[in-house]
Amino acid sequence: MVSALPPAVIFEQVSYKYPRSEEYSLKKVNLRIEQGEFAVITGPSGCGKSTLCKCINGLIPHSYGGTFKGKVIVHGKCTLEHPVYELAQLVGLVFQDPESQLFCSTVEKEIAFGLENLGLPREEILARVEEALDLLGIAHLRYRAPYELSGGEQQKVAIASCIAMRPKVLVLDEPTANLDPLSAKSVLDVVYALNKKLGVTVILVEHRLEMISHLASKLVVMYRGEVLTQGPPRKVLFSWKILEIGVGLPKPLLIALMLAEKGFPIEAPPLLPEELVELVAGGEER
Amino acid sequence: MIEVQDLWFRYPESDYVLKGISLEVPRQSYVAILGENGAGKTTLVKHFNGLLKPTRGKVLVCGLDTREHSVASLARRVGLVFQNPDHQLFANTVYEEVAFALKNFGFPEEEVKRRVEAILAELELDRYRDRSPFLLSMGERKRVALASVLCYEPDVLVLDEPTTGQDHKQKEKLAELLQRLVDKGKTVVVVTHDVEFVADHIPISIILSRGQIRGQGKTLELLSNEDLLAETFLFPPQLTAILWKLSKLGLHPAPSVEEVVEAMLQARRQSP
Amino acid sequence: MRVFEGLYYVKRNTAMHRLDPRAKLVYVLCITILSTAVFHTALPMIMLFISVIPLAVEGRVLRRLLSTLRGGAMLAAFIFIFNFIGRLWNIGFVSPSSPEFLEALMPSLAMALRFLTLIATFSIFFLTTSPDDFAQALVQMRLPYDYALTFTMAMRFIPTLAREAQIVADAQKSRGLELEKGGFMQRIRNYIPILVPLIVSSFRRAETIADAMESRAFGASKKRSFLYMLRFKLSDTLFSAICIAITAAIIWLRLSSFLPP
Ligand SMILES: Nc1ncnc2c1ncn2[C@@H]1O[C@H](COP(=O)(O)OP(=O)(O)O)[C@@H](O)[C@H]1O
Ligand SMILES: Nc1ncnc2c1ncn2[C@@H]1O[C@H](COP(=O)(O)OP(=O)(O)O)[C@@H](O)[C@H]1O
Ligand SMILES: [Mg+2]
Ligand SMILES: [Mg+2]
Repeated sequence: MVSALPPAVIFEQVSYKYPRSEEYSLKKVNLRIEQGEFAVITGPSGCGKSTLCKCINGLIPHSYGGTFKGKVIVHGKCTLEHPVYELAQLVGLVFQDPESQLFCSTVEKEIAFGLENLGLPREEILARVEEALDLLGIAHLRYRAPYELSGGEQQKVAIASCIAMRPKVLVLDEPTANLDPLSAKSVLDVVYALNKKLGVTVILVEHRLEMISHLASKLVVMYRGEVLTQGPPRKVLFSWKILEIGVGLPKPLLIALMLAEKGFPIEAPPLLPEELVELVAGGEER
Repeated sequence: MIEVQDLWFRYPESDYVLKGISLEVPRQSYVAILGENGAGKTTLVKHFNGLLKPTRGKVLVCGLDTREHSVASLARRVGLVFQNPDHQLFANTVYEEVAFALKNFGFPEEEVKRRVEAILAELELDRYRDRSPFLLSMGERKRVALASVLCYEPDVLVLDEPTTGQDHKQKEKLAELLQRLVDKGKTVVVVTHDVEFVADHIPISIILSRGQIRGQGKTLELLSNEDLLAETFLFPPQLTAILWKLSKLGLHPAPSVEEVVEAMLQARRQSP
Repeated sequence: MRVFEGLYYVKRNTAMHRLDPRAKLVYVLCITILSTAVFHTALPMIMLFISVIPLAVEGRVLRRLLSTLRGGAMLAAFIFIFNFIGRLWNIGFVSPSSPEFLEALMPSLAMALRFLTLIATFSIFFLTTSPDDFAQALVQMRLPYDYALTFTMAMRFIPTLAREAQIVADAQKSRGLELEKGGFMQRIRNYIPILVPLIVSSFRRAETIADAMESRAFGASKKRSFLYMLRFKLSDTLFSAICIAITAAIIWLRLSSFLPP
């Protein structure tokens, strides 16, 4: 993806150590995510994905303290020089646990919360709340209490309350971890649609690559606080190394890797079952 | 081992959450209970050790009617591991956490010590023995919670959503452990919506949806039933999806990854 | 536990519910003044207590109110007994037929009734006022927003906490914990395995909430705006005026000794 626009997010040699922690949770991380990109971050548990997410809107280091080295630049703004509430208008952050991040008594008030903090006029808040409800397809939940919704609905409410602030970047930390397959897919579909429709840059953490890697324009693999590789998903994932560090490869890709070992030429590594099938179908036609 | 006969259940002031469930978990079997969020899976397994009592119908554990026995006595036979370890960890050290159940069940001190050490070693937790469980990572906390039930060796082990939020390697390790238990003659029931995990590791499944059982039998047969999956809000496992697309290769219904590779190589060799 | 039920908002659409919380606060204040500063004997307390009932009926929360009062009755009985015994102690124990006995009895009864009246009044307020509206009223009465937010969040997480307590209890029972076992001290100790996980996960949740709030620009603007502002309507003014007028009249009647103390 070549673009003249400045990058959405840049990490320059970022190292970070939590207070009272002995080891660095991020080690010299370099990362570059362009505007409008759909980036997926993966890696074994504890490798620093959540830590990285919190760096993007400045929660780290502003709220967490600790030792922070290097620079994170979001749309030209260095996170060190801007408070979280300012960065929050640029970066929306959605957390893993669906319920704990919703603290208001109705969905409508939940979505309005950020806008009220900005001191927007009432009419503007109302318009944006309705817009966000429609974008996420949850207008029917408007007056419901967040705690009585299903996990998938709660995640959509959380996304809506970020989107209402019209961020340029949406960061989602394992948004589907607690969801069943159908709810997970419906949340991911909604995120994908936002990326395409509004051009929001998406940075999404996920273990289950088979659900998401075909949607990603960029895949970032982290391991023990470092970025191991980053690039187009097909290229990054088509490697035994990734499997060895404990990342679960989509099965079509795994099969393609095994085929390649046995001398089967693989030009475009397949992520989806239908792509895998094309390998033999193509062979038959030749 | 566990027998459920026409079980109906509702919470106070709610509609029926379980509607006429009948099932049997035989001794030494390895079974998955699959279903969407809110299907009633947790509600169902809470009947297995008497935490909930049927509104109608009957649950028998080792022949004992759960309505006539205390949770403590049933829990001795059916170990239930809850989804979120943070809902049960409370002790100052990992050792004490694991010893909790053993002490409750009145094991002699020597035996408590022996069992705790053994299980900590088995789950690779021995180096955390004297640490606070709260300072461990999520994956480790999950293992401590598991150890604290495994230690008293219940005949049946029931795990509620053990794979949520776990990475690939953690899931593989869990699968290995569960297989070891099954090989030792334990009965293992895994409650989950993780189709992939079930397809890869658990031979028998029960599909629950909206409080009713929609399918029971061999996992791979159930999970390749397109209509059933659609009705129960599940997706086929990847290998099944691949198989559907590759139907012309004439593979049998439940191949391994290796078999798919072999068949594809064959197909390529045959095409000119 | 019943006492707290009376503090929990019941969603309805009645005139009592629609009343501005500030108007309802005027009412609560009036009753509080009358029952604590103006009257001291049992009869007026009963009158005040009875005056709460039409409002409860109007707000369709009478049954809740009664269940709250049933919970409060225990405490009221305690208050009565302690008061009564205290007074008897002071005058020396006298025969039940003597006038001193009655003099000790009646104020004690009044104390207990005062307590019930106050419970009923506050309970009507909370039963018919959503925590959000209450918090908004506090903000519009110039209380800092942070305090109001803390209050609404506490209310919001009560059901979550209750659900969590159930799960924790179930998890520990599944590991053989028997709450009913042992003597008094042991029984209290039995609750530790339930309380600790509850507290720890509340802390974990509080961290996430703090992060989530900051991530949505909490603290961005000194002049926070609000999606919903409370408006003091004509009916609110009327209601408050009536409350104040009646209270003033009663006080005047009392001061001119037309009413008993
Ligand atoms: N609040 C914290 N204080 C101290 N250490 C932490 C904190 N949060 C995470 N860590 C540590 O930082 C490392 C990376 O954690 P995290 O970013 O949560 O990983 P991931 O999201 O990839 O699972 C882990 O070793 C973890 O123990
Ligand atoms: N304590 C409870 N009180 C009332 N309803 C409940 C309670 N627990 C669960 N439910 C309801 O019962 C249904 C089944 O829930 P659950 O057994 O937790 O499903 P699952 O474990 O399959 O996700 C859901 O609709 C849920 O809202
Ligand atoms: Mg994480
Ligand atoms: Mg469940």
